[in-house]
Amino acid sequence: MGYEQDVKRVNLKNPYYLKKWENLLQKVDIQVSTEVSIDDITCVGVFEADQLIATGSFQENILKYIAVDPTYHDGKLFNLIISTLISTLAQQQIFHIFVFTKPIYQMSFEFVGFKTLVKTDVGVLLETGDTAITDYLATIPRIANQKNCKISAIVMNANPFTLGHRYLVEEASKSSDLVYIFVVKQDVSLFKTTERFHLVQVGVSDLSNVRVVSGDEYMVSYATFPTYFIPDKTNIIRYQTEMDATLFKQKIAKPLHIKTRYLGEEPFSKTTEVYNETLKRILPPEVQVEIIPRLKINTQIISATKVRKAIQQNQIETIKDFLPNSTYNYIRDHLKILQNSIKEGMNIDGN
Amino acid sequence: MEIKSTAMAGTLESSDIQITISSNKSGIQIDLNSDVAKIFGKQIKKVIIESLNALEIKNAKVKAVDQGALDCVIRARTLAAAQRATHTAEEPEWEVF
Repeated sequence: MGYEQDVKRVNLKNPYYLKKWENLLQKVDIQVSTEVSIDDITCVGVFEADQLIATGSFQENILKYIAVDPTYHDGKLFNLIISTLISTLAQQQIFHIFVFTKPIYQMSFEFVGFKTLVKTDVGVLLETGDTAITDYLATIPRIANQKNCKISAIVMNANPFTLGHRYLVEEASKSSDLVYIFVVKQDVSLFKTTERFHLVQVGVSDLSNVRVVSGDEYMVSYATFPTYFIPDKTNIIRYQTEMDATLFKQKIAKPLHIKTRYLGEEPFSKTTEVYNETLKRILPPEVQVEIIPRLKINTQIISATKVRKAIQQNQIETIKDFLPNSTYNYIRDHLKILQNSIKEGMNIDGN
Repeated sequence: MEIKSTAMAGTLESSDIQITISSNKSGIQIDLNSDVAKIFGKQIKKVIIESLNALEIKNAKVKAVDQGALDCVIRARTLAAAQRATHTAEEPEWEVF
């Protein structure tokens, strides 16, 4: 075949290359989601003469938009693209890599060392690299005879930890032997991951049957559920929530013997509402879903979004009743930093 | 020698092997992915272990994605990844080849 074995960086800001890239993706029926900014992805490709015949991209540690021109029917091109992406990421010291792809490509990725995490009707999520979900599970604390105990789980972003979160944890704690709080790891919220984690830990430290652990890349992350962090994209949210929920059920709840997942009722965020609906549909009967109504204080529903708004508007006194002292004091002591972060464009309306 | 950070060598192209080496608490643990694992799996693992032994690496996790590499290629890729992972790539251990 006449193509060069050269994989080149493809500059998608150049309309000439962008057009070629879009045409190739269209040929293999991959839609470019509109909310993905081209600035955020690194793209490579193989050219024959001036025609783009294979391409692949990554955004952080997620591979995306992998396509080989079907007329070439060539596994070599696929391997070449994946190999280049993996090596490029390795140079940035990124080794743990995910890909979300169509079921027909599952084998091709497994052939180059990827392992399937979860499969739904619309897609497959695979991972590869120096660590895997089994390593993650090995780090989760357990109790004696866990299999026969009542184990519950809550996944939360806690941006930041409020008395509403606290109430949810208390409810779970009352009726469980052990409660895992999986704190979302993706660092894209107003409160940094370390801050969120710390405030949850301090906020529940008196509850002896609660363990606070990181959700790592396996719960509500860019890999399992990227649009969680972007408000209102209901269509895409549906299949992503299915992926996240199925992964939780099969790969997290089962080995940890989690029998109940607690959710906060969701009157505000459309994204979370769809997520809750999906969890209710997918988790039972193996994992029960308990939805706890939101805690109200002085007839006001507690919400972390309101807390973030109050930070922005410099009115944190108004939300003092929503927060445990630990969170309130933290906000008071770091108010300027948080406000600057909002001014610099940190989105506070999403999750 | 100690593994200081994860490192990789090799590609996914035909006749090559991609080796990723990371730290491990105890012993050498190999996750091999190969079309010919049934026939050559033992031999591939043996070459990887010998190469690590030559550098006196006792604890390591190895992910090997093989595309039909010959022993000399396996050895070269393992040594390259291992020297990167032990931060000794600046002083290649030529004699262990």
